[in-house]
Parts: sequence; C-alpha cells; structure tokens
Amino acid sequence: MNGPASAVQCKGVIKRYGSGEAEVLALRGIDLEVRMGELLMLVGPSGCGKTTLISVIAGILDQDEGECLLFGQDITRLPADERTRYRGQAIGFVFQSFNLIPTLTAAENVAIPMLINGMPFESAVAEARSRLRDVQLEGREDALPTQLSGGQQQRVAIARAIVHRPRLVVCDEPTSALDGETGHKVMQVLKNVAVGSDRALVIVTHDARIYEFADRIARMEDGRIVSVEQAERGTKENVP
Amino acid sequence: MFRIALKMLLGDRGKYFGIITGIALASLLMIQQPGILISIFSRTYSFISDVALPDIWVMDPMVKYVDDSQPMLDTQLYRVRGVKGVEWAVPLYKGNQRVRLGDGQLVSSNLIGLDDATLIGGPAVMLKGRLADLRLPDAVIVDEAGATGRLAKPASPGKKAEPLQVGDILEINDKRARVVGIARAGATFQSQPIIYTTYTRATTYALSERKLLSYILVKAKADEPVANVTARIRHDTGMAARSADEFKDMTFQYILNNTSILTNFGFVVVVGFIVGAAVTGQIFYNFTLDNLRYFAVFKAMGATDRMLRRMILLQALLVGFVGFGLGAGATAVFAAITRERPGLSMTLNWQLLLGSSIAVAVIVLFAALISVRKVLKLEPAVVFK
Repeated sequence: MNGPASAVQCKGVIKRYGSGEAEVLALRGIDLEVRMGELLMLVGPSGCGKTTLISVIAGILDQDEGECLLFGQDITRLPADERTRYRGQAIGFVFQSFNLIPTLTAAENVAIPMLINGMPFESAVAEARSRLRDVQLEGREDALPTQLSGGQQQRVAIARAIVHRPRLVVCDEPTSALDGETGHKVMQVLKNVAVGSDRALVIVTHDARIYEFADRIARMEDGRIVSVEQAERGTKENVP
Repeated sequence: MFRIALKMLLGDRGKYFGIITGIALASLLMIQQPGILISIFSRTYSFISDVALPDIWVMDPMVKYVDDSQPMLDTQLYRVRGVKGVEWAVPLYKGNQRVRLGDGQLVSSNLIGLDDATLIGGPAVMLKGRLADLRLPDAVIVDEAGATGRLAKPASPGKKAEPLQVGDILEINDKRARVVGIARAGATFQSQPIIYTTYTRATTYALSERKLLSYILVKAKADEPVANVTARIRHDTGMAARSADEFKDMTFQYILNNTSILTNFGFVVVVGFIVGAAVTGQIFYNFTLDNLRYFAVFKAMGATDRMLRRMILLQALLVGFVGFGLGAGATAVFAAITRERPGLSMTLNWQLLLGSSIAVAVIVLFAALISVRKVLKLEPAVVFK
C-alpha cells in the first residue's frame, strides 16, 4: 500500500492571537506542502510567523481556520490524548535552546521519547546510547548537559528528536546558538539521520550559512509564504 | 517516566534539599507545637493519672478541678466506707504549703498526705529511698523535679545549687521534715514541687483547720460497676463522686475554659500549621514552575496529561514522605531530650504523628494539584518560545 506523497499539506491555514483590537494575525492563509524525503527550510524575518507555522505543523498549536494534514491525516480531529500519543510517535523536535533536562545524562535525555512511548527504562537508555554514537557522541553518554559544549548539546537534542524514528522532525533555529563550524557539523548530522524516503525535515532558521543543506526554502513575510525555492537549482515555484 | 520524574527531583540536590528542609521544618512545626500543647494539657490532670489505683474520687461538691480541693470533715471517710459496693476508701490530703529552704527562702509546694496504713496514692517510681520509709519520723518524699529545681539546696556564692538528697532536712510551716526518698511524678500544671508524706503527718504540717480531708480515694468491688458505686456515693453522702476519667475531664475542661492557654497556644499551633502548609505548598509549586519548560517539552513529545499528573504526584509524595520523616524524626529527638526535663516537654503519640502525616499529605497533594493544573494548562507550543 502506498502512503501519502506529502509529509505535510497545509491549506489556507490562519492563526490569530488575542482578540478585538489586540488581535494579531500570525498566519494569513498558509498553503504549504512538505514532501516526503525532503529538508524544507522556513526562513523569514523575526515575527513573520515561522515558529507559529511549525507549531501548527507539529500539532502543538491549533490553527483557527484551514487544515494541516500530517501524512494525510488531520490530527486536530483526534481526541486530545490520541493526538498527543500520535505526536509522540510521529514527530521529533529540535529546539533553539536545546531544552535538555539538566539533571539527566545525555543518554537519559535521548531516551525520553521512547520512555514516553512506553519502552522500559533500560532498553530505552540502551537504544539512546546507540543513537548518540550516530551523532558522534560516543563516550559522552553519561555526561550531564552542563558538561557538554553547545554543539554537543545540540547533537544530543538531535539524537533525542530521531531516536524513536519519527516520520517528521521539526527544528526551530537549530544552529543559531552555535558558531559557524559547529552549526555546519550539526546540520550535516541532522541531514544524515533525519532525512529519508519516508520521512521529512522542517527547519525554521535565520541562519543563511545553512541554506545549502535545504532541498527547498520557503520564505515567509507577515504571516504568508511569499516564495518557495528549490535550494540547489535556485528555481522559484509559483506561490498563489 | 517515573524514573525520569525522580531524577528530575533528585538530580538538583540543592533544590531537592531545599524542598525537603522546608517540608521537614513545616512538619516539625506541625508536630512539635501541638505536642507541647498536649503535654501542657496532660499536666492539668497528671496528679490524677499518677494516683492510679482508685476507681473513684470523692470530693466536696464545690471542687472545680484537681488543684481546687475543698476540705471535708474526716467523718466523711467513714460514711463513704459504709456505702454498698465500696471495696476500700482511703483519705488523701492535697494542699499548698510553704517550705523554707536553708537560706530562709520560702517555696510554695504541693503537699500530698497518703493514707498512713496503705500509702495509696504514692508515687509509682521511686528514684531513691522506699515509699515505706514514709512511716519513719518526720519523713517526706520529694519529687525529682522539685528536688533538682525549686527545692534544691541554695548555692553558695559562685556555685550551682545542689539537688536535694535523702537525709536532707526541710521546714514545712516551721515543722521539721526529713527527706527519705526522691520519686518521679508527672509534672503538674503549676510546676510546683510535690512533697509526699502520710495523711496524719500532712495534717500536722498543714495550718490548723477544722476540715483537712481533700479527697477520698475509693476502690469499687470487683462485681460492682464503677458507675453504680459512684452514683450510690453521691446519693448516700451528698458528696461529689467521679471516676478518675470524669475527674480528669472536669479538670481539663476547667483549665480550658478558665485560662487563655488554648487561645494563646492554639493560635501558635494554627499559625504553625498555616506557615507549614504555605511553605510546603510554595516550595513544591516553585519546583514545578522551575521545571515548567521541561514539562512542556514532555507534552510536545507526546506525554499525556495522565502521565504528567502521575509524575508530579510521585514527586510530591516523595518529598512529602522524606520531608515528613525528617521533621518527625527531629521532633522525636526533641521529645526524647525534653522527656526527662521538668520544664518544657512535649507529648509525641501515634495520633499526633498520624494527624500531622495526613496534614502534610494533604498539603503536598494540594501543592501537587495546583502544580498539575499549571502543567495541564500549559500550551506545548511554549517550547518554541
């Protein structure tokens, strides 16, 4: 049986914050497709709605209008707990500030998604150790986040995002806290481990140094997608 | 995820010990203050508890509490002995007398006169000497607290007062008294020294009065219900007769209703509880707030509300259990230290421990509830902010 061709399919997504005179239209009718096997970057100035859009895509924020299908499924229609569980199985997250639990070792941090999905602690940590090797952190499994450099912490966060083999990984500014060289290495790791034929990767970034890793780049301005470019070929697609 | 919850809690040792210390201190307040209050209340009827043998106390109807003995004629003793169902009845003198110390200082003391033949009502624990030595000429027995405290031999300049010893001589209302024993007695509400002697000798120490009989101690026959004998004594003699428990309760109620001790000490207990509850709740809530971002991360990663609730509940129960254990332990040490002291002391019983443990459990569960509410209302999208 063939699965859906799109990892994400957003149509006419509108998101408002506040109400009355204080209402802010964060997303103004977003149409966007994220294809299977691609790394899509969302770029644009601060406040243009990038983070709101990936929050909607990842199912942690509800849009007010429009629909956003995740692997062909509208998860906003699922009951709350089922939707949370779906998110736990299908989506991985990488955050700008890493969000590693400071009192847990690198391996324990990486094990969290599997523990949430019900795997026993020892098995989850063993799997996490293996994933840390994939991101070149062998020997640092028992280190606490404070004992790791920024680049190492972000690699732990990447291992955590992929350890349960999610079909979609969303990243918010994954390299903004890192120097150029480290950011480059982190992106290399991310692209190697998170992109596959049945998976997709969406990255929100300001960091032009990493654009080269993208398959496509969607530019946002004022709550709208203004262009989607094929990064390598540099060709622009029509945006309604 | 339970292990993760515990590691989150235990991993930050500074914060963990802060929470535990706060709950331990709150628990200590909630156990120690009521414990001291119970101890003070139990002192109001400690004399009745010490005189354990009789079933019934017979007294003048005007008596309001145990230290308020209203003298009766000695002939009342014989009337009581004649009541049906009375196994035995013995006299007891209880009154305040002035004791002159070696340096001329006068100390008001509680003089107890025991039945000459049986010495019923005497102290149960003799530390030095024998109860039977009260039959020696001029013999008195002094309680430990009095012997080491207010009746201690006056110090010569630059030296500490020496405890009263067997063989020492006192003056009670200008009459000679020789210490033949030191006994352990329950601390009294007024914290006066207690001096035991025989009934006959007590009446000679007491200032000359026509009526000197304070109480008649009665044992009911084995086949007679105490309540029946009590009612019969009241009916036949016109005097008040109460079981030991009734007399304790009456004494306790009188002190409760006629002094401000409950208001004053009760206020401290209530404030202690409120402060303890507020401190415990606040520090646990702050712990959750400190970790709010990580709970949002869990939520985004697929942790259900039920899972988060159980994690927070586990953390709350653990800190509550450990904190209460430390607080109760510290209070037990305090109770053990003060147990032998005549002054400040506290009562630590299982009812108090159970009550305070329930209070701490309620507090931590309430704190957990507020924390859970905060976490459940949390939008997982904050992880990207």
